[in-house]
Amino acid sequence: MIEIQKLRKSFDSEQVLKDLGFSHPGQKTLSILGESGSGKSTLLKIIAGLEEADAGDVLVDGQSITHLKPKDRGAVYLYQEPLLFPHLTVEENISFGLKFRNRAADTVQQDTQRMIQQLRLTGQETKYPHQLSGGQKQRVAFGRAFIIHPKILLLDEPFASLDPGTRKEIQLLFKEIAEKEKITSLFVTHDLKEALMTGDRFGMMVHGRLTVYENRDDFIEDSKTGIKQEIEFWKNLS
Amino acid sequence: MKKRVALGLLFLSFVIPFGVLIYLSVSTEWYYPDLVSHPFTLSNWSSFFDGRSGLLESASISLFISLTVSTLATLCGFFISRGIAYYTTSRWWLVSAYFPYVIAPVVLAVMLNYYFLQIGLSGTVFGVMTAQLLITMPYAVILFYGYWNRNIRNLENLVATLGGSFTDRVKHAILPSAKGLLVVCFFQCFLISWFEYGLTQFIGIGKVETLTIMVYRYVAESNPYLAALAGTVLIIPPVLLLLVNRKFIFRKEWSF
Repeated sequence: MIEIQKLRKSFDSEQVLKDLGFSHPGQKTLSILGESGSGKSTLLKIIAGLEEADAGDVLVDGQSITHLKPKDRGAVYLYQEPLLFPHLTVEENISFGLKFRNRAADTVQQDTQRMIQQLRLTGQETKYPHQLSGGQKQRVAFGRAFIIHPKILLLDEPFASLDPGTRKEIQLLFKEIAEKEKITSLFVTHDLKEALMTGDRFGMMVHGRLTVYENRDDFIEDSKTGIKQEIEFWKNLS
Repeated sequence: MKKRVALGLLFLSFVIPFGVLIYLSVSTEWYYPDLVSHPFTLSNWSSFFDGRSGLLESASISLFISLTVSTLATLCGFFISRGIAYYTTSRWWLVSAYFPYVIAPVVLAVMLNYYFLQIGLSGTVFGVMTAQLLITMPYAVILFYGYWNRNIRNLENLVATLGGSFTDRVKHAILPSAKGLLVVCFFQCFLISWFEYGLTQFIGIGKVETLTIMVYRYVAESNPYLAALAGTVLIIPPVLLLLVNRKFIFRKEWSF
């Protein structure tokens, strides 16, 4: 369970987050839709500990993590770029986070192999990042995050650099593994379709304020999200 | 064909001076109008190896100074540039790194000399190393500044959120991805330090006899044979370093 309480953040004179608050139950994905500059990435960075909030609190399972260092928060932040380590193979990239968790070598090996199978990357284990396609790189990036079972997975438009076909495939794969591994995630995007495909719950961020919808219908019905207008557009086109 | 000839001439222009140096280093008497020197002798080289010429000691001092200076300049420059790139907003931090290059090394030495005399660093190996660091470290800062881009910062953040400490970030993310650039910087700093003359002469006040200082001295003494021997020894370490690290030095890009 993630709880955000009255989060405030300004850059110079611009207030990016305005007393933002919401709660999100565990093992679900909250898709947050918002335009560029609406404060989505800042919100994720504050939760990960990569930015400091001016005020407010972040609680995970009832415990405040606001004053913890990023490494101690259990929140993995995934960027738009896969950011794989160029000197490590697929297998080594995926198991990277386990280095810091003192696992036995055979457990690491088993977990990595299981993750490689789930990501459908069997046969690519010994390849280096420059030998992979964009979609494969993004899968490795997901595997590297999933394998450590983070308390929260924070995804900052991770599919934005992929072509439409690969994007859909990776979206479905993300959904499948997130459900199987019971991962709690916050997913920010400016793509309506992507928000609908990946989320269990939905949010809309406008000028530093977040509205969370309990179900898909409420999200679609709200005119602020623009989904109805989008549906109308496609209907009228045909 | 023209390209081959041009390349061949270019190659010869590099090799011939080196060949002449080696030739002179095995000569003792070569007078006009003789076309070749005679007799050839290894006496210059044996005086080098048995320490009689003092060149072995100079080579050891040079190697110690250059290896220490290039290692320190590379490592300090790497982390100082990170600090400037991440934690400062003023351009003056980086601009100040260009200061030693705006003025000639000898002028810089004159400016530094007063302070070095006051703190007793003049005429010492430590003083020469400190002076050389004042030009190599800013060079390293300038070279590494561009490395700290958004991708590297994001990579560091990613390692942190995966559970890595600062040491883990350096060990697993930063150093491996910067390996090529670190080698290039080390090599360049080594060359700056190894061939440095003006600053070393001024701060060393003749007491710190590096190999470069000895070459100039033999040339000034009109001793071409020992100057050639010192020159040959002077060229060997950079050439070896270049050969060992050629895959990094001739690489075209460093980003991932």
